Amino acid sequence: MGIKSSFMIAARSLLRRKTKNLSAILAVTLGVTLLVGIQITTDTLENSFMTSLLQRQGEVDFRVSNSTTGGYLTSADAENISALVPNAVGIMPELSTDAPVMLGSQFDDSVEMAGIPTDFPEAFGSFYDWKTGDKLNLNALLASNSSILLSSSQAEKLGLTKEATLPLKLTTEFTNLTATVQTPPTVPLANWTVNANTTSAQYVLNSSSPYLSLTVVPVNFTGIVTLYTINCPRLGLSNYDYINVTAAGSNNTLVVLGFSMDDGSTLTVANLTNIETLNTTQFDLSPYSERTLRGDAFLAIMSANGTQAEIEISEIKFESSTPIITYTPTTERVDLQVVGIFDSKRPGIGSQYRGIVFKLEHLQQWMSLQDPQQKTDIIKAYLVALKTDHFTSEISRDYLQEQVDMFKAVTPETVDPATGNTRKIFRVQSYRLTFFSIAEMVMTLLSTMLTALGLLIMITGVLLITNVQLMNVEDREFQTGVLRAVGENRRGITQSMLIENVFQGILGGIFGLFGGLVFGQAVASYLVSLFGTGQFSVQPVVSQQVVVLSVLIGVALGIITGILPALRASRVNIVEALRGIKVAFEEKSGRNLALFGVLAIVAGCFVLLINGVFDKTCEGIWVAEGWNTLQEWRNILIGAGLLFAGVGIVLSRFISRVKALNFTAIAIWAIPVFLFVVAMGEWIPDITGLAPDILIIGVMEIVIGSVLLVSVNLPPAMKALRSVLVKIKGLKGVGQIAPALISSHKTRSTLTFAIFAVILTLNVTVATLVPTNLSSIIETEQDSRGVDIIVTLNKPVANIANVSYVEELYKLDSHIIDVIGFKTYASRTDYQRYAALNNPYSSAFNPQTDMLPIGYGELRKEQIRGNASDAEWRYNFYLSSFPDGVAQPPADEVTDGELTEMSKQAWEMFFDPSYRMAAYNVSLAKLMSDERDLSDLDLTSFSGYSGRELEGVDVLRYENGTVIKNPIVFTDSFILPMGLQVWIPMNTSEYGLPVYQAFTIAGRLDSQRAGGFPLSSFSLLSGDEFNIMDALGKLYLPEYWANQTSFLAEADGVTSISKAPNQFNQFLIKTSYDMDDPRIQSIAQAIMNFTNTNDEGYRGLVGDNFYVASATVLYSKIEQSLEMIQRVVSFLQIYVTFGLVIGTVGMAVISIRNVSERKREIGMMRAIGFPRTQVMLSVLLELVVLGIIGLAIGVVNGVLISVGFANMQGATLVIPWNDLGVYLGIITVIAIAAGAIPGWFASRIPPAEALRYVG
Amino acid sequence: MTATRNRESILVISGLHKRYNEGKSNEVHALRGVDLIVKRGDMMAIMGPSGCGKTTLLNMIGHLDRRSEGKIVIDNIDTATLSDGKMTAFRRDKIGFIFQLFNLFPFLSAVENVETPLLLKGMKAGVAREQAKMLLRELGMGDRLYHLPSELSGGQQQRVAIARALITEPAIILGDEPTGDLHSATSAEIMKLFRRINRINQQTLVLVTHSRWIAEHCDYIVHMSDGKISRLEQGPFKAEEEN
Repeated sequence: MGIKSSFMIAARSLLRRKTKNLSAILAVTLGVTLLVGIQITTDTLENSFMTSLLQRQGEVDFRVSNSTTGGYLTSADAENISALVPNAVGIMPELSTDAPVMLGSQFDDSVEMAGIPTDFPEAFGSFYDWKTGDKLNLNALLASNSSILLSSSQAEKLGLTKEATLPLKLTTEFTNLTATVQTPPTVPLANWTVNANTTSAQYVLNSSSPYLSLTVVPVNFTGIVTLYTINCPRLGLSNYDYINVTAAGSNNTLVVLGFSMDDGSTLTVANLTNIETLNTTQFDLSPYSERTLRGDAFLAIMSANGTQAEIEISEIKFESSTPIITYTPTTERVDLQVVGIFDSKRPGIGSQYRGIVFKLEHLQQWMSLQDPQQKTDIIKAYLVALKTDHFTSEISRDYLQEQVDMFKAVTPETVDPATGNTRKIFRVQSYRLTFFSIAEMVMTLLSTMLTALGLLIMITGVLLITNVQLMNVEDREFQTGVLRAVGENRRGITQSMLIENVFQGILGGIFGLFGGLVFGQAVASYLVSLFGTGQFSVQPVVSQQVVVLSVLIGVALGIITGILPALRASRVNIVEALRGIKVAFEEKSGRNLALFGVLAIVAGCFVLLINGVFDKTCEGIWVAEGWNTLQEWRNILIGAGLLFAGVGIVLSRFISRVKALNFTAIAIWAIPVFLFVVAMGEWIPDITGLAPDILIIGVMEIVIGSVLLVSVNLPPAMKALRSVLVKIKGLKGVGQIAPALISSHKTRSTLTFAIFAVILTLNVTVATLVPTNLSSIIETEQDSRGVDIIVTLNKPVANIANVSYVEELYKLDSHIIDVIGFKTYASRTDYQRYAALNNPYSSAFNPQTDMLPIGYGELRKEQIRGNASDAEWRYNFYLSSFPDGVAQPPADEVTDGELTEMSKQAWEMFFDPSYRMAAYNVSLAKLMSDERDLSDLDLTSFSGYSGRELEGVDVLRYENGTVIKNPIVFTDSFILPMGLQVWIPMNTSEYGLPVYQAFTIAGRLDSQRAGGFPLSSFSLLSGDEFNIMDALGKLYLPEYWANQTSFLAEADGVTSISKAPNQFNQFLIKTSYDMDDPRIQSIAQAIMNFTNTNDEGYRGLVGDNFYVASATVLYSKIEQSLEMIQRVVSFLQIYVTFGLVIGTVGMAVISIRNVSERKREIGMMRAIGFPRTQVMLSVLLELVVLGIIGLAIGVVNGVLISVGFANMQGATLVIPWNDLGVYLGIITVIAIAAGAIPGWFASRIPPAEALRYVG
Repeated sequence: MTATRNRESILVISGLHKRYNEGKSNEVHALRGVDLIVKRGDMMAIMGPSGCGKTTLLNMIGHLDRRSEGKIVIDNIDTATLSDGKMTAFRRDKIGFIFQLFNLFPFLSAVENVETPLLLKGMKAGVAREQAKMLLRELGMGDRLYHLPSELSGGQQQRVAIARALITEPAIILGDEPTGDLHSATSAEIMKLFRRINRINQQTLVLVTHSRWIAEHCDYIVHMSDGKISRLEQGPFKAEEEN
């Protein structure tokens, strides 16, 4: 019989065996749906993530700005720039700044303000009205200099809805400069102390303003008395021409006066000089114009003749030949009119702006107020668009890079008159390119998880198809026997089965493709709600190759999984097939298999030896550094997996196969379990390098091992189940049938519960992620020392006698038990308050790359330490990196107690004004350079205690070889390296220029415990938009140094940015409630009501309505920081839920299949007296048991894997029993429904008819 | 014949009809009014050509299928009045089946197959197992207790099937070509077994067969053709006995 008969047989079996064919087609459909759906989901996720990131760039491809930080371009530059970008389709000028804004009682301390020309090029798109969607006419709207447009996202932040009536009053602040002539700085004469080391005479000292008087009573000629002070101004000497000393005293006095300079050398003003000379000479400072004073000075006197000598200094003064004018910024409050709200989520120019939009000329007018020359022709940047419609078709990354590089290449250079260095006249920046790389970075992480999960779930599709196909053969053996008996040859049988399979595969593939597309659409609409991109809709990305490939794989799988059974079927022994005799299970393996096992052992050992067990230097099996990276574990997983599988196979030649397989199963399961439970967290400190293949291999081994283990032991387990069931009345018959059925169809049963084991393992793992993270933070409640609320004011509290914000807060609620006030300061616009990364007085200083727009904070002893008598500190500000000299335990894992102890030691150093720490040769240059690339950020330093991170780094030395030692600051920044030398502007020199003091960054505040350092505004995981300013964090100065700044204290007197000692702007509040008590929220609300109501509460008390408090409940901050995790988890959840749905539907298919082919057995059961209920129950029980086995494996494995991730994060594992209950419920309901419906139908067929059924 | 008249009737059938696919175009009228009485302890064979309705009649008696019309009384119970649940219990307690293809559960061992009906009756598992073992030993299967059907020869499988039918001590055992799948030597053995059960336990047996040889081992032979009983004949051995 030839192909024709094969076709006929195939056609007939397709037509007549409807249930079976349908189930096979359904299985392929489901499998292909999974493959296609997962692919579309991954692509769609990546695309929508990218789009949501890039949307903010609008049509802007790159920006051209002044190459000097803080510098501006002018309207004249427009022509030069357009000549440099021949490929631009649009160039527009933009002026931008940020300022605080108040609208009604709503406040935002930093709102982007942009000035743009009303006739900007069309290439940038249009503004659309938020409410109506109509195009806005900028020319008509922005007629006056107080008219502004508000973005819809800022409007939402300020509590507005689309229904808001315009115009609205919006208050902001601009800086206005007033000029004053600076009084020359003097050296304070109070607080000089005796240096005992260099004092060898009796003395009388009176160091109090306005005189410093010292008398020395020598016993011999060499008697000397040395004084020092650390209260000197830190001055850049370039501003000053000479030092004048006014002194009187006895003629026999010889004076030494010197100042320490930043390079470690000493500026000696007087060297054994007599008082007359000292009093009349102007000490020339011009040789030292590149140096700064470090802030300490010494004064020594000797007697010229051995008799008593006296000196009385009334003034040490730095002077300049030209008067120094300083401009004092004052804050001018301005009322603006919101004349329109544009949709900032809609593609177009509106998506570029998230704050306020002015007409360019108007913002130029406002900003000219802060310029001493009141220049109005200022442009912050020219925006360049290389193409239109970025939203519909994104620009090619390579093309953009090429254009940016080209622009850089052709930009002319100029010589910087200050430094003599050449530099480009323009700086070009493409945030678009930066976001491309951010997206790439985040997507690699996300993709890793998604790909791993996706692949694992796809495996369930494969299992499903295989399972149904296997069922096909089993129940076709009889027919095959008949066909062979009537003369069909083997090829014919194979052919007819293949034809059937191809048909099923293709049909299933087509249906599956549609299923996948529908799923992709569903995911896309879910993503829209996640990203909240409004008008901009997420389209499912259907990549043709991928989809075609998925369908082909699905169909091929259907066919391949069909071929093997078909071949097996064709080999069937005719007589045995007809008699229904199953081939007996061999007890032991044959020689070929054993050989295969040996090969596996050799391969396993090879992998282990080469990569896993021995380290690179082949030192040994167990080296201290070994086995602590995930890459090593990949090799261990593969190697040990192969090894044990091989050992099992070889063993099965000598001992019974069941024992051998048990051994293999346990071993294969135990390797990844060991990885997850012991190695992760204990040996492997962080998640870096988690490649999808490691996860896949780990999860696969854990699943294969556990499934194999259960499968091998299925018969005894089922025997046990039977012995229980046959004791229960009414279930005796069920007990006799169902367990026996399960263990008789071992392969089928195994595949069925394996599907669930895989999916539930993933489900449980994913479901455990969020609660585990949440708990890890909650349990560190203690670390927060009871701090519940963080209150941030828009500006420091008013400095008015008898009104204390802190006292008022205590009065608000009796449950407030402690209020700690802090002073912080950050300027985004005043580059004179930026920190410098290089000595600002040196010729190597480059303002383009060496300025860091970072904020500052003051930390006082009583804020941290509390009263010296307190046993407990007021707040445990944990550090994660420590200054030199803090005793660090040798172990990698520090206990909480040790960490507290180390932190306390570090704080003692911090508060000691005389403590100095060496500066190290670390740099941040790359980050601040033109080509800043965020992939350089070391995200791992974001985690907790990181051990001795400065080991092996050289200290910095002055030219003369002495180690550079500076006072120390701490930081909450995760990008500033420890040991970095920074210069912080302190007071202002006569020229209005800041005076810089060098510091060493000596400690990093922990960003994880108790939700991180509470004054930190940035949280990587908060889902906020990534803002480099926030990410930078702050530098924290001890009180001593803070008092010498013009922005945390009053070093320049009372100015608009100065702060009196208790003019706090941030408060940490402790209550007597538990951390997660909802009543804390009401206290926070009360604080905001107290502060934010016009003419009442605090505003009333101080007579200023421009106070706004935002009170954040720490617990909600913690919850927020989980939002990103939750978002990622919800992506993963899409996958696993999809898998669960497909899995359960697949189970239903298998169940229907099962029942339909078991009709005959059901007839037998009915014939010998099984009641219908018991028939149904036994069908049900089989599925429920398989479902529960799958669930149990899934839960156990899922929990074990989660233990690994929990360990790694130092979190306590929380198992979401509720979710697991839902899974259990779903599985049970589906299993019952899937079994009950066909079971019910089957039980109603008259037994006689059922008995006639032969498959 | 006289002696049998004194024994009670275990099965009374009157006016039995069975139509398959009733009311449809492909309706088959398989039984066209069958009347039959079987006394306790009788061993009866039903013979006839293929398609004459023998198996249908047997299924009707065993209540594996619904009749179209007529009356069946087994052990003085009119089964027309029974609900499905009661019918199942009735089938379990009163009727034992032996099939040509044995119809043993392939996934249960010999002893498990045999004990299943007892378990269904609610008997304790241990007791049921003992009874099943005893019976199988009696039937010469003592050394095959834990074998799966696929590991047994046809004759052995049929013995297990017989044991399963016997174990509940049913009122009547129905056999559908019980030796049809076996070769002659085994057939003879099985027939000897049937005879023994019939004689020693006074067990009523109704066998459908097309083998004259088997039929001749029965007390009575019912000949069927075209859905009706055409002739009732006394078996040669029975006749011998009575003579």
